[in-house]
Amino acid sequence: MIEESVRFKGTRDGLNIYAAREADLPDIMDSFLRKLQSGKLFFDGSKVNLIFIGREFEPEEQKQILKLFSRYMKPGTVEFRGNPEPQKEEDLSPEDPSGSFACLEEGMTRFIRGTVRSGQCISYKGNIVVIGDVNPGGELIAGGNILVLGILRGIAQAGADGNVKAVVAAYCLLPTQLRIAGTIARSPEGETTKPSCPEIAYVKENHLFVEPYLPGKGRQDPMLQTNRI
Amino acid sequence: MGEVIVITSGKGGVGKTTTTANIGTALALEGKRTVLIDADIGLRNLDVVMGLENRIVYDLVDVVEGVCRMKQALIRDKRFNCLYLLPAAQTRDKNAVTPAQMQKLCEDLRDQFDFILIDCPAGIEQGFKNAIAGADKAVVVTMPEVSAVRDADRIIGLLASNELTNPQLIINRLRMDMVKRGDMMNIDDTIDILGVDLLGVVPDDEEIIVSSNRGEPVVTGNSSSAGQAYRNIAKRLLGEKIPLLNMDTEETFIDRLRNLFTVKNKKRTWKG
Repeated sequence: MIEESVRFKGTRDGLNIYAAREADLPDIMDSFLRKLQSGKLFFDGSKVNLIFIGREFEPEEQKQILKLFSRYMKPGTVEFRGNPEPQKEEDLSPEDPSGSFACLEEGMTRFIRGTVRSGQCISYKGNIVVIGDVNPGGELIAGGNILVLGILRGIAQAGADGNVKAVVAAYCLLPTQLRIAGTIARSPEGETTKPSCPEIAYVKENHLFVEPYLPGKGRQDPMLQTNRI
Repeated sequence: MGEVIVITSGKGGVGKTTTTANIGTALALEGKRTVLIDADIGLRNLDVVMGLENRIVYDLVDVVEGVCRMKQALIRDKRFNCLYLLPAAQTRDKNAVTPAQMQKLCEDLRDQFDFILIDCPAGIEQGFKNAIAGADKAVVVTMPEVSAVRDADRIIGLLASNELTNPQLIINRLRMDMVKRGDMMNIDDTIDILGVDLLGVVPDDEEIIVSSNRGEPVVTGNSSSAGQAYRNIAKRLLGEKIPLLNMDTEETFIDRLRNLFTVKNKKRTWKG
């Protein structure tokens, strides 16, 4: 097996294309073609910023390459970087701390198995997860997030120490009152119907928002569907 | 060995005493040796509902304090030989008895009876603590009403912290016509919140008031639907599998039309 002379890597900024320094042009063009062909449906004429890293290309070669790429996508900004700077390569690897794994650093979690009933109060400085229901009159107070794998009908207070990033999520979110950091919201007056899917509550600019978090919910909404891709 | 069952609710007026009297009488109808203990010291009612008020000489507090023997305080029912009542004192209060004393009292009754039913007072204070002290099992009575269900929920939590897990639920005074109109919580809603096993559902029945006034538990007659419900509950306590009473009245054309046009999904808006 010969090693692939080019490598594609998608990043936030665009498509990084690594070309082996010693490979000759026909070889590279061949690899480009194969890669683009296999990803044809993926690229599908979308606008992509291209960053070529590794091998230096002559202006003539660059033109040729761009011609090939523009058959499959609309090149946005194009940059021929040549030799990769070690520091550039490095910042791709570690996960963005504000990304999906940030929650791992949100402290300890207390698990409650069973129903939190009227008159019971669970208070914890970290996160609280209830595997069961929280009935009206029951109270959860967490320094971090609150997650209820059941029906939340009682009072939930997340981010009790003032953490505005805390959220309250429940399989069925019907609380008497929601508090996140300094923001308080009460449930709508009058008769309410059960939400059909799990919901998550969070604070943004001092307002409390409640929205569904199931991907299934998006299917009912054409707007969400297009945004998801 | 008898089984000690406490009948409790948290909220007052949901029918603990009526339920105790009727389940006890129904168990006696089945031939079980049963004793009813009124733990509502200072506000006794069970003797009135049973029609035994005029036979009280000694009471629970007298037994606990050693003023009399157990046998002297137990009142035999006028209808059933196997049914007894241990009345509460009226001139004392809940602090006249301690949980330990109640525990001993229940133990003493265990070998003489098959069932020992304790009528718990309303509230969660001393009287409640006394009543549940000696119990093996709890029956929670509630009404399909938000405040009663809320209190029942609290009680279920307190029972669990006193090692009385998995209580059984009786939904009392259900009105099917109101449930149909959507004006009353239905059985499923109630169980959904409380998350405990259902022992039975008792329909709202005028007969209950009439029979309480007369001092004759409604299960002794055959006419009332509430009586039938209580007889079924007693049978379920004895381990029989009895389906729930069918309280559905015929659905009319108008009902169906109304259901068709009822707006199912009201918009939920949050107030900040």
